[in-house]
Amino acid sequence: MSVPKPELVFADLPQGRRFTPLRYEVTPKLVDDYMAVVGDRNPLYWDQAQAGAGGSLLAPPGLAAIYARSSYLQDNAMPSGGVLAGQEFDFLKPVAVGEVLTVQAEVMESYLDPKGRKRVNFLIAARDGQGDQVCLVRLYAIWPK
Amino acid sequence: MRKDYAAGDRLPAINKDIDQKRINGWAALSGDFNRLHVDPDYARETSFGGTIAHGPLSLAFLNELMMACFGQAWARGGRLREVRFLAPIRPGDHININGTVEAASQEGPRRTLQCRLGINKQGEGKAAVTGLAELTLTGEES
Repeated sequence: MSVPKPELVFADLPQGRRFTPLRYEVTPKLVDDYMAVVGDRNPLYWDQAQAGAGGSLLAPPGLAAIYARSSYLQDNAMPSGGVLAGQEFDFLKPVAVGEVLTVQAEVMESYLDPKGRKRVNFLIAARDGQGDQVCLVRLYAIWPK
Repeated sequence: MRKDYAAGDRLPAINKDIDQKRINGWAALSGDFNRLHVDPDYARETSFGGTIAHGPLSLAFLNELMMACFGQAWARGGRLREVRFLAPIRPGDHININGTVEAASQEGPRRTLQCRLGINKQGEGKAAVTGLAELTLTGEES
């Protein structure tokens, strides 16, 4: 029987905390699943006639951010009742299908707002195999406890 | 890809139907199995009164719109800012993903655009999600 992960609570999220990097491959199956769920059939993702010089298809840019939340929840569970207040993306470099990305989250701000709500703002960077940043995600959350 | 977008131009909108299967699919894809999204019995007892779609799924729709209009230029330097989740998107909603070029400027071969994006639920006047997209076209995009 698996042991439930401990909840990640506000006290665990001081400014400056960096989480263990999360590594994953942008597999053809992941791209197919993304296209099916989102309903995004852009031919850049699947039509080999539109592949780049190296023969690689483009991955949907959003796949570089798909594990933004998971990157800080690898060892913990999210307490229920949180709110995603906002999210921003910078797409810096196209990602090809088959690339391995590494995603790392850092707490940029952690504070009580004037209404007493627990605010946690993350900066989450995705890098490719060359170490280049491919995507930056700013994630603004209201933490439940 | 159209390269002559000017301020005031509308981006070609996309329509979608939202159902629980799509929301469950996003949960499986992203690993976010928050019960508010995937457990109708639990969600019915919350202030939302039922399950709601994940916020990042809405952002995937905005990305779809920008990729459809601008292709590699969005993947290479697109920025999505000022995202606001104003109303929940629920199973059964029919949504319209739309955008308008708010500003366009030219500097040599580089054309910079700002697009105001929105997701509207059919039958409701107000947007459920809004955002501001910024990108630069260099003239080399496919």
